[in-house]
Amino acid sequence: MIGSANLSAWFPEWGSTHAPDVDVPFFDIYVVTVTILILTVGLAVVFTRTFTRKEGDPEQMPAVGTNKILLGLGVVGAIALAGFAFQTGLSGFVGQRVAPYGAFEVSVTAREGVWDFTYPDGHVADTLRVAVGQPVHLTMTSQDISQNMSIPDLRVNQTIMPGHTTEAWFETIRPGTFPIRTGAFSAATYDSMTSVVVSLPAEEFAAWQAAVGDIFAGRTMAEVGELLYNQQGCKACHSLDGSNLVGPSLKNVYGFEFLTTTGETVLADDAYIKESILTPNASVIAEYQPVMTPYAGILGDQEIQAITEFLKTISDRGHTGGQEDK
Amino acid sequence: MHNVSQSAAEQVRRSFLGGPDGVSEWFQSLDHKRISLMFLAWTAGAFLLAMILAIMPLVKAVGGRGLSAQLLFETLTYQRLLHVVAWLVPAIPGIIGFFLLPLQIGASNMAFPTLSRCSLRFYVVGLVLMLGSLATYPVGSGWTLDTHLSLLDPGAFGVLMVGLFFMGLSWFLTGVNFIVTVHHKRREGMGFFDMPLTAWGLYLYSYLLVLSGLIFGIIALYMAASWVTTEGLFGWKSDPMAWRSYFWFAIRPVTYFAMIPAVGIVSDVISGVSRKASTGYRTMVGAMIALTGIAVASYGVSLVGQGLSPAGTLIFSALSLLAAVPVAIIAITWLSTLYRSSISCSSANVFCNAFILHGGIASLLGLFLASPAVGAFLGASMFASAQLDYIIWGGVSSALMAGLHYWWPKMMGRKYSDDVARIGAVLYVVGLNLALVPRLIMGTKGVPQDLAGLVDSSLRLAEVSSFGWLCVYFGLAVIAGNLLVTIWGDEAAEENPWGATTLEWTVPSPPPEDNFS
Repeated sequence: MIGSANLSAWFPEWGSTHAPDVDVPFFDIYVVTVTILILTVGLAVVFTRTFTRKEGDPEQMPAVGTNKILLGLGVVGAIALAGFAFQTGLSGFVGQRVAPYGAFEVSVTAREGVWDFTYPDGHVADTLRVAVGQPVHLTMTSQDISQNMSIPDLRVNQTIMPGHTTEAWFETIRPGTFPIRTGAFSAATYDSMTSVVVSLPAEEFAAWQAAVGDIFAGRTMAEVGELLYNQQGCKACHSLDGSNLVGPSLKNVYGFEFLTTTGETVLADDAYIKESILTPNASVIAEYQPVMTPYAGILGDQEIQAITEFLKTISDRGHTGGQEDK
Repeated sequence: MHNVSQSAAEQVRRSFLGGPDGVSEWFQSLDHKRISLMFLAWTAGAFLLAMILAIMPLVKAVGGRGLSAQLLFETLTYQRLLHVVAWLVPAIPGIIGFFLLPLQIGASNMAFPTLSRCSLRFYVVGLVLMLGSLATYPVGSGWTLDTHLSLLDPGAFGVLMVGLFFMGLSWFLTGVNFIVTVHHKRREGMGFFDMPLTAWGLYLYSYLLVLSGLIFGIIALYMAASWVTTEGLFGWKSDPMAWRSYFWFAIRPVTYFAMIPAVGIVSDVISGVSRKASTGYRTMVGAMIALTGIAVASYGVSLVGQGLSPAGTLIFSALSLLAAVPVAIIAITWLSTLYRSSISCSSANVFCNAFILHGGIASLLGLFLASPAVGAFLGASMFASAQLDYIIWGGVSSALMAGLHYWWPKMMGRKYSDDVARIGAVLYVVGLNLALVPRLIMGTKGVPQDLAGLVDSSLRLAEVSSFGWLCVYFGLAVIAGNLLVTIWGDEAAEENPWGATTLEWTVPSPPPEDNFS
């Protein structure tokens, strides 16, 4: 049909079972609308060329009423077209909103430029790994701005808003890495993909899951701490090189003393670090805002201990526990 | 002989353009025709500024380095706001409406001349405040001004919102003025169904201007207050859907259905150049009334893919699809008017056909976005924003240019070069489609409105699009230049070059101050 040679120019390659739900109605409507457009504009141009003013034409051409049959056909055609457009996109739309029973549950928490994907086993990561052929059900919310969870390759587009919980599901049909776009006018998410969906063959996914299932296996405590620092979104606000971002840098924290916003002096020891992770806004270092997300319920004791060990490795007083180096 | 030249001189003196009047005479003027020309100058200025701002994303699109994200967001925000708020909505009522409405219904002026002047002044105040915020501390949270992102944004947001309030007020006053004018200032014996279709389009659109202007003005003030206090209806703890719903309820009818007065204009131009009364006049009026109702009822379709619930998506998609019926009627009516008519081929025709093309594409794109699965995927993408571009740069601009080329001899009393106008028109039409079709394709590939992620997959498309924009800019410059030079030219136009039958052609060109006397 018209323009069929160019159909491949539209849309990315199919990445999920949702792709035909979007692409098929799109091309149905595409073929019909391109035909209508060519017909209408073609007739307008042809009429303009044909009925040009000639010698002997009267000053005003006789006015005529609309041809009732033509008008009736137009109305019926328009209703049919509207009904067709609605119907062709309906089943796919409904199907995209009802996740299959037993889908792999992932809860998604977004902040500006940061994604937390929490798996059923409690593992948290900043990229979403899924197995090919397994339905994945996302339950999503945002902690600050409204943005989209748009994965073009998978034909997923759902809004994530603070105070709302929205859902989406998909089932990938091939391995690959699919970018997630947010569509928000936010410098934090610009010029880089904020995250990706990594679709793995089932056996690779199982192997990965087993490996991350126990993040402590084969790692020292400090290594686990560094991994958590990267996975849990800490790096968005806390640097490791001494430069201060939204929050203070984590270099030379452990074992040092700090002034809080209330004017007290605190020693950054194991207890204070634990408190700062679980209830960070209870005691805030001077000149910073109480804006950090509490990690109570997200990180366990062992994980906090791992982070503390990691902080020791990047502090000059890591081994002295707050005593001046002798 | 003596008498004739004296009366000719008198006519020139009495023309609304006046003789030696200075800036203050124009500024204080209550004459609807002078207000129209001042609206032409201001809206064209706003359009030009938006065009200049639009170059920035193009630089980015062809792989420009060193353009910071923040700068790009600010540019995109103001470009779209200026286009929508300061051009798309006020251009047709401001330029064609203020000039033609009294002339077409046989009135000497608008019903409320002082309100006409207020409309213009509030527009200018709004524009100045918007530009003030751009010049001092630009806002970069996107033209839909999403609550939470805007609250995070440190720009001169309050100033911008007060500017938008004045814009809303200007729309509101224009709408009230037009409605009362149509009701009370029609010439003795002219019924509603004797009015030309342009007057009908403006009259119906006025109801949308009143509704949207009022709501938009109020929520703009609320938003400004929320931005100061971070509390309240649109505050930090508010539901983000609250702002989105109010915003689109106010903005959707008045932007996407700025096509209603455009349809009126194109009907009159087609009828005028083809020397044939509009076929099915009452059917046409009925279709336009239906569109006005659908405009308000289907506002929520702009929220599809942007947080609207599944049930809402289905309901609003179905409601917006109702527009297919009036649009089909309009197309059939125009084609019937053209059939077996006597067309004096001119640039006005070319612009009418351009409107049928661009307005047609914009309407047909609505079918994609109202097909639930497709709309939910593309609703927030560049595909949807290209549809709005087809309305701003395509439909409304084509209709306005058709109207300007049709009525320019009447407005200014001058002839323009038809050949040059055609060259400009071809450049504009070809360029615009080269510019926007790639954007539609990019939208399906997942490029969001902010152009992020462009570089990897769609660079070639972006280049084609940028070349198209170049043609559009060049074409518009040719068209505008061609009209502008006639102001200093001296080739006087005939009183009724098209042999049209509507009332505005019975007065001298340019019309005298009191129109009919």
